[in-house]
Amino acid sequence: MKKQKTILVILLLILGQFMSGCQQGQRQEASDLLSDSFSEGDLRLNNAMIAEVISSVPNPVEITSILQKSGVVYSQDLLNPAGNISNYNTNFQRALNIGVYGTDLIYMNIYDRTVATLRYLSNIRELAGDLRVEQFFDYATLNRLSESSKNVDSVLFITNTGFDKMSRYLIDQGRSNIAVLISAGTWIESLYIAAHAQTTEANRETINKRIGEQKKVLDNLLLLMNFYGADSGLDELIEDLMTVKKEFDNVTITYQYAEPSIRESDGMLVVVDNSRSKVDISDETVRNIANAIAVVRNKIIE
Amino acid sequence: MSEEILKALMQLFAIIARQDVGLSLREREFVESFLKQQLSESSVNEYLKLFDSYILQEGKTREENDSGEVKLTSVKDSVKILGIAKKINRTLAQKQKVVVLIRLLELINSDQNFTPQRMAIINTVSEVFNISKQEYKAISGFVIREESEELDIPEILISHSYPNQNINSHFILSHQLSGSIIILRVQSVDLYFLKYTGNSELMLNGLPVKSGRIYNFANGSVLKQPIGKPIFYSDIVAKFISDTVETNIFFSVENVSHIFPNGCMGLEKINISEISGKMVAIMGNSGSGKTTLLNVLSGSENPSHGKVNINTINVHSDKEKIKGVIGYIPQDDLLIEELTVYENLFYSTMLVFRDHSTLQITEKVDKMLTSLGLYQIRNLKVGNPMNKKISGGQRKRLNIGLELIREPSVLFVDEPTSGLSSRDSENVMELLRELTVRGKLIFVVIHQPSSEIFKMFDKVVILDDGGVQIYYGNPVEAAIYFKKIDNQINSDVGECPKCGNVTPEAIFNIIESQIVDEYGKTTGLRKVQPKEWARYFENFYKPEKELQKKTDLPATYMKQGWWRQLNIYFRRDISSKLANRQYILLNLLEAPVLAFLLAYIIRYIDDPASGVYIFRENANIMPYLFMCTIVALFTGLIVSAEEIFKDRKILKRESFLNLSRSSYLISKINILFLISAIQAILFIWVGNSVLGIKGMYFEYWLVFFSLAALANVIGLNISSAFNSAVTIYIIIPFLIIPQMVLTGAMFSFDRINFNLGGGREKVPVIAEIMPSRWAFEALAVNQFMNNDYEKHFYDMRKLESAFNFKNVYYIPELKGYVESYKSRVIAGDDDPLKKADILLLHNEILKENSSFYADHHQIIFEDVSSISPENFNLNTADAILFYLEKLESFYSENFNRVNSIIDRQISEMVSTPEKRKEYQQWYDENYNSPLAAFVKNTYAPLPLVRLGNKLVQKIDPVYLDPSDRRLLSFRSHFLAPNKNIAGRLVPTFYLNITILWFFTLIAYLALYFDILKKLLLFFERNSGNSKSSLNENEKNPIGKKLFYKDLEDERILSNTNFN
Repeated sequence: MKKQKTILVILLLILGQFMSGCQQGQRQEASDLLSDSFSEGDLRLNNAMIAEVISSVPNPVEITSILQKSGVVYSQDLLNPAGNISNYNTNFQRALNIGVYGTDLIYMNIYDRTVATLRYLSNIRELAGDLRVEQFFDYATLNRLSESSKNVDSVLFITNTGFDKMSRYLIDQGRSNIAVLISAGTWIESLYIAAHAQTTEANRETINKRIGEQKKVLDNLLLLMNFYGADSGLDELIEDLMTVKKEFDNVTITYQYAEPSIRESDGMLVVVDNSRSKVDISDETVRNIANAIAVVRNKIIE
Repeated sequence: MSEEILKALMQLFAIIARQDVGLSLREREFVESFLKQQLSESSVNEYLKLFDSYILQEGKTREENDSGEVKLTSVKDSVKILGIAKKINRTLAQKQKVVVLIRLLELINSDQNFTPQRMAIINTVSEVFNISKQEYKAISGFVIREESEELDIPEILISHSYPNQNINSHFILSHQLSGSIIILRVQSVDLYFLKYTGNSELMLNGLPVKSGRIYNFANGSVLKQPIGKPIFYSDIVAKFISDTVETNIFFSVENVSHIFPNGCMGLEKINISEISGKMVAIMGNSGSGKTTLLNVLSGSENPSHGKVNINTINVHSDKEKIKGVIGYIPQDDLLIEELTVYENLFYSTMLVFRDHSTLQITEKVDKMLTSLGLYQIRNLKVGNPMNKKISGGQRKRLNIGLELIREPSVLFVDEPTSGLSSRDSENVMELLRELTVRGKLIFVVIHQPSSEIFKMFDKVVILDDGGVQIYYGNPVEAAIYFKKIDNQINSDVGECPKCGNVTPEAIFNIIESQIVDEYGKTTGLRKVQPKEWARYFENFYKPEKELQKKTDLPATYMKQGWWRQLNIYFRRDISSKLANRQYILLNLLEAPVLAFLLAYIIRYIDDPASGVYIFRENANIMPYLFMCTIVALFTGLIVSAEEIFKDRKILKRESFLNLSRSSYLISKINILFLISAIQAILFIWVGNSVLGIKGMYFEYWLVFFSLAALANVIGLNISSAFNSAVTIYIIIPFLIIPQMVLTGAMFSFDRINFNLGGGREKVPVIAEIMPSRWAFEALAVNQFMNNDYEKHFYDMRKLESAFNFKNVYYIPELKGYVESYKSRVIAGDDDPLKKADILLLHNEILKENSSFYADHHQIIFEDVSSISPENFNLNTADAILFYLEKLESFYSENFNRVNSIIDRQISEMVSTPEKRKEYQQWYDENYNSPLAAFVKNTYAPLPLVRLGNKLVQKIDPVYLDPSDRRLLSFRSHFLAPNKNIAGRLVPTFYLNITILWFFTLIAYLALYFDILKKLLLFFERNSGNSKSSLNENEKNPIGKKLFYKDLEDERILSNTNFN
């Protein structure tokens, strides 16, 4: 035991040295690395609330499949280049970009671009590893599935559940900031792809409506992010997103409640939600949003 | 002889001849024959005329002064003689002057007119010539006297057919000689003269010897008698100097038998007994065991029975005492081909002479080279028989010279004449023959010697098939002996009466003659079997009475001390290596060229769109590390694999010198290490630079060099144990391929056969003995941990990894076991306890309680004893769950802490675009992601596995210290950053290097004691033994069966009788 103690002390001293070398000037006490007792989260956000906000961020599958159905042409240029991964060194960058790559992966899969997906998969796996959440991506399985376009659904499923589990885990582990960032990344990339989709005027409307709906999501995200404010990088991101929010201010959403009805479909009874939300968004607003989100997005992926 | 001298001589002859009685016809004939010896026919006449004119002049002056006194004339003559003698004195060497004196005496002797006047003149001449009184007396006695009794002085050797009666003179018995051979030694000038008084047909060097004439018996001369043994120069010299050389070697071989490992008879009851100053031939047809006998006699092979003694010291059991006394010249060359003639002899001499300065040794070597007749070619490289620089005879002589220079007392020579021309053969044999003069005892294995050479031997041992001794005695008599047994006519004549030849072939024809069938064809069956010859020989041979006195062994040379030997070996090897330009060039180029090829091939740009090489992305770094180990092994082995093998002949010889094996080996190892060290520098320098591996050159070099050094010593082991170059190169793949397979790079230890320890917690035992694994692990761990980037974060990441593992995999896994138990209870399972699970929980919680972090977090599960199949219940389960929850949050929290510290550091490092660029470059140049994935086992199918009743972490091995800190558990998992040595953690890099050197030490010890060779021999012998024992077993059962069968038959018979 004594030996172990000395080793621990030596180890901590070494760590301490690194800390003191840290340019931020905050001299970390070695014992900081190991808390003596587990402290109940002091000023933590309610985990359930975070989870709720995160779950309100639309799944990229939704948006991208709308794009595909609306006949939007696939564009390689919209993706975050796979090679950018080497730029992501901090948790902040990694978290945002795992979201970005996740969205890209889904976008590609929806469009059956299976060859390039491998690199995105491995990027996700790598970033997950760097974030120490690699357990949610069974790389071998994903790799195997993505070899054939028939498995697109499985890949999407595994990716999606992987992201979900990851978020929940991160929140559980008191790393909700990471979870929020991942969601933010996912959302930013989804919006970016949707806002930049080139399509016919007719289809434009559906897409624009989806874009307009994001107003609420952004509000929620910003609300959440403000809690982590002090964390490095986040302030800047919030500031950037505020410019996007400003564009969203031109969007009005009106919600009309209606009684749900029951009707028969294929010999089964289904409940139909008759409530509607009306989204007012001009093409110009969409363009402005597209421009604003591009600035934010291009900043985070660089 | 110059004209002037010849004229002077003619004048001298004339003066002497004219004295007193005047010129006789005989005297003129003598002058004529003397001139004929010196000159051609025409010149002879010219000088004869001159001689005659001198005689006439002398006559005239004599007549003119006829009236006067005789004495006056003689005074005048004396003055003249003085003048001539002085003239001669100025021009002739002492040797020639002695010859002149003898000629003058011979002139007078030609008609026996020994007048006082004549004798007075000769006396004067001898005085002027500075010839001592005693020698003059001996010379004149030798020339003038005929009877041997009158020549009883130590300067004379006489040979005749009857026993010697003289006391002072030397004597050689020549059985069938008429008259006497008289030999004079003029010691001051080292000349021998010969005179014969009989009328047998004596031949001196092939020329007939006239009775009464005096011949110069020059170095190497042979005097052949029509019958009997020739007299060699060396015999004569031996007789004269035997006074000074005393017999000090008694060599005896008693009933020596030797059985080969395969059970064949190699030698059977050999008896030999010899004293110093003899040359003994060992003959026999091929396969009769000549070389075996030589090996047994020289002590390099142990006989199965019997003993070989030198002065009562057993050659085999008292090797230490005998070393240095014995010399051995094998059939093959002992020369180092890259060195010059001089260097070969020089280094070999250096090794054996202590207390000699380099200058003294140089002198000694020069003298030896001169006497070998090699002085002219001393600076030529020896070369090999394929690439000849010096002739075969010169090689052989140099070989012999290597041994002669240290003057061993007993010398064994294996086929010194094989492959040599007859002239060269004779030269070589004469060289050996002369050694006997100095009291050496020489054994020579010889195959089909010429008659000349055959007769040089004092004794001959003839072996027949199966190593049977069928003759031992005088060579000429051997012919007689075999002819007699074969009932040949004139069987009492040993040699050809006309030519004096003894052809050993004739002897072997008799020995091996075959039975002829009725058609006159040979049947392949021998007339006389070896055993029969042996019986004949037993009857014939009467062993000499044991002469063995307990004499001390002659003083041998003093070998050099250990350090000096090391130094000499080192210098010798270095200069031989440096002399081989090709070798040096190849060895210097091999490593960097390989490194360049390898590194250049695997230096690629991962991103096809980019044109910039990024080290971090190169997926070939791990394979490169692997190749480093393979190249180190290969180059290390190749450079050494032939080293000892190449020297094995030289080593065999040097083993007789009692030289230190360790100094030889260490000098070898030093040179090889030097080569490997240089190769390592070049390889790492080129390879690492091309691949852009930053820093750590020394660490890479150290691993490469350590492994190559080990390979060197392993190579030396095989080169010393195996007996052909082909075998050695066949062995190399056996050494390399398992090492390649078990490096841990090609095949994961998790995925090798479980029977070999694959897939378990620790490195499989079979891989633990693979040097390549230690080297590769050291390289991989070092490259990952100590690159400039990771060095910065390693300790933090290690903690992070540990916390993460516990938090993510380990604790949930433990929880799983407890929860499954609970759910089984709820489901009403009859037997919810899974014994193995409980034991596992017990083990793991016990481990966790005493873990590295437990001290700190103070979360201890107190009642571990309750976690047992007997005591386990729902309460325990809940307690464990509660405990695990606490642990989990501890680990989770601390993970977050460490993680955010690291993140904050990095964030700071990339806070501005410039900093970020800097950081990126730093990261790209130092860190290699694919290697990191390998050492972190990122793609492990399972992060942790259950082995029996414990859990084993499979991911992040490079961040995991071995948990087992018991004293002796030094084994650990693959790629551990530290290892446990007696409860202390030692960095893997240094530990692995230490282990490589430990292996090297073991390999060196194995080499020093030649364990591999002994093992091989042991197996060979065992397989031989088992063969022979098998035979016995086979025989016995058959014998028994027959025996039982007989009994049975008897019983049956008796039964029938009864019935």
